[in-house]
Amino acid sequence: MNTKIIRNSLTAFAVIAAGFVTAYASPQTFDFQDPKGVNNVRFSLDAPLESITGTGTGISGSVRFDVDAPAATTGRIVLDVASLTVGNPLMTDHLRGEHWLDAAAHPQIVFEAASVANVRSQGSQIIADVTGKLTVKGVTREITVPVTFTHLADKLGARLGDPKLKGDLLVLRANFTINRSDFGIQPGQNTDKVAETIQLSLSIAGAAPRS
Amino acid sequence: MNNAARFPEVLCTTAWIVSLATLGTWLFTGAHTGWTQTRVITLQHDEITGIEYPVFHDAFVAGVEFLAAGLVIGAALAAFGLWLGRKRTAAHV
Repeated sequence: MNTKIIRNSLTAFAVIAAGFVTAYASPQTFDFQDPKGVNNVRFSLDAPLESITGTGTGISGSVRFDVDAPAATTGRIVLDVASLTVGNPLMTDHLRGEHWLDAAAHPQIVFEAASVANVRSQGSQIIADVTGKLTVKGVTREITVPVTFTHLADKLGARLGDPKLKGDLLVLRANFTINRSDFGIQPGQNTDKVAETIQLSLSIAGAAPRS
Repeated sequence: MNNAARFPEVLCTTAWIVSLATLGTWLFTGAHTGWTQTRVITLQHDEITGIEYPVFHDAFVAGVEFLAAGLVIGAALAAFGLWLGRKRTAAHV
């Protein structure tokens, strides 16, 4: 009788422990299609005659992240070119038009993470250099981006206002620059009004629901 | 003095009003050195994630082409008023 109780207890413990390990220690896949629509990339170009700032909010993709092994992070983030907006409607049309980003022919900007290096902790955040392939207007270049990872355990329900919803959040932040000529965007043209260097600021949150 | 005689003076006054109103609007909306904007971004804060996200609002921010157009119209009105005034003065002499 006692043996049976002990065996059952051990089995129950093993199941619970396995569930705990699965829930908290294994890699999770975070979906960056944000239902609240706050995920955004801000861009700014500071040319001698014109400063342009704008945003893009059409972000999707997924990242596989393990809080215990952030160096193994992989993922793909996609930005819809049609979601890029600046303050002037005509300028927005030009930005998406064929002479600049050509949203009709190249509707997405894609970053595909290939490797993670120089991982270090800063408080509750993890900072790392993420190297991957950035594709803009059909041109793919390898870039390295400093990324801050913030893992928010069990915050999905609170964020979406549904306490029954279980799951974690992963917030990614990155500030980096690219050169438009590297991606064949009017190289060397109109540099007095449209700066060659584009400063990008990415702030996105992904969700990994648990059942 | 009849209305026709006062016309050059009215033109010059209008030129001043147009020029000052244009300059005032441009300065009041932020002296923006780019093109005119009809939407502006304000940043809001997502409580749980701490993400700052942009929200667009309809707003008029006068740009350099608005300033240039207003000043050109003002200058044209002033020039026409002065020309008309001199023409009438010469006709009276």
